[in-house]
Amino acid sequence: MSWYRDNMTHKKNDDLSADDIVADEMVEQQIARHMADLLNDGAQRLMPHQEQRLLLARDAAVSYLAERQAQLQYGNGHVRQGNVLRWFGDRFGQQHRMTSAALVILVMLLTLFAVQQFEWNSNLENSDAFLLASDLPPEAYADKGFDAWLDTN
Amino acid sequence: MATSKELSDFLASVERRAFKQTAYAVRDDHAALDIVQDSMMKLAEKYGDHAVTEFPMLFQRILQNTMRDFWRRQKVRNLWTTLLSSFGGNDADNEERDPLETIDVEDDSEEPSAVLAKNQTIALIELALQKLPLRQREAFVLRYWEEMDVAETAKIMGCSDGSVKTHCSRAVRALAKELKKQGLEKLGLSDAMYQKS
Repeated sequence: MSWYRDNMTHKKNDDLSADDIVADEMVEQQIARHMADLLNDGAQRLMPHQEQRLLLARDAAVSYLAERQAQLQYGNGHVRQGNVLRWFGDRFGQQHRMTSAALVILVMLLTLFAVQQFEWNSNLENSDAFLLASDLPPEAYADKGFDAWLDTN
Repeated sequence: MATSKELSDFLASVERRAFKQTAYAVRDDHAALDIVQDSMMKLAEKYGDHAVTEFPMLFQRILQNTMRDFWRRQKVRNLWTTLLSSFGGNDADNEERDPLETIDVEDDSEEPSAVLAKNQTIALIELALQKLPLRQREAFVLRYWEEMDVAETAKIMGCSDGSVKTHCSRAVRALAKELKKQGLEKLGLSDAMYQKS
């Protein structure tokens, strides 16, 4: 601390020039930094319970950050999966109109086919019912002579 | 983004100073520990994704704001305490403590008299720092103890660079004056440093 004596014995506040002001600021800074050094020394000597409390506080903050970073990583994994789906989606989206039109046509064709199939089955059932309910036996319709007899009559 | 280890290292490097600074400001060790703990948690919660290089300034800003929140709450509490105490007697706990009574002298390789003088000096500086006006103390602590530059200090304090310089200058002079009043020159510091104050 004796440097104070060496550095600061010659200045007074009276009649300060620009150089004096700079020197004044430097002296102030030296004093301040010396005080800060002493305060730092003081800060190194805390009570054990204070040190313990600070340690716990620090651990809590660090644990929180570690937990949050772990959650973020987990979240990013999900987002990456989403990105994969989105990539496919984008590829799909580029031909969206064509694909949609093809799908609509396919559905219409399938519906038409189903309706036709249903109608054909229905006609078949009607024919069978007619033949079974007719006065003539079904074999008569397959007989060529029966056709000729119908023509002559 | 800072890693957990970087945060831990940073907090370990500042926690003691932060506690001391807060204790000077709020004059209550338990409250100071709470404030430092809150500040640490806020840093991790809100700024954990920032670079570690930003931590010193962010932490100081959080610390100062948390102190202000404490004072606001304290103000309301004091209002009620004042009202209630007007109905009660004097409280012995409110007496000012003499910091010299609580000085711990560590086993050190230095001469015992030198250690004692140093500890007394530190205690007196701490006491003088407590007596400083809020803005001067903030400026002094940030600028000289936290070793921030004028611009950073101004940003944290929300004022101009010029104001920071003024606050710092007044703080140093006030500290020197207070220390002289406490007879610090007898503890090893020269009279000369106080001639300006």
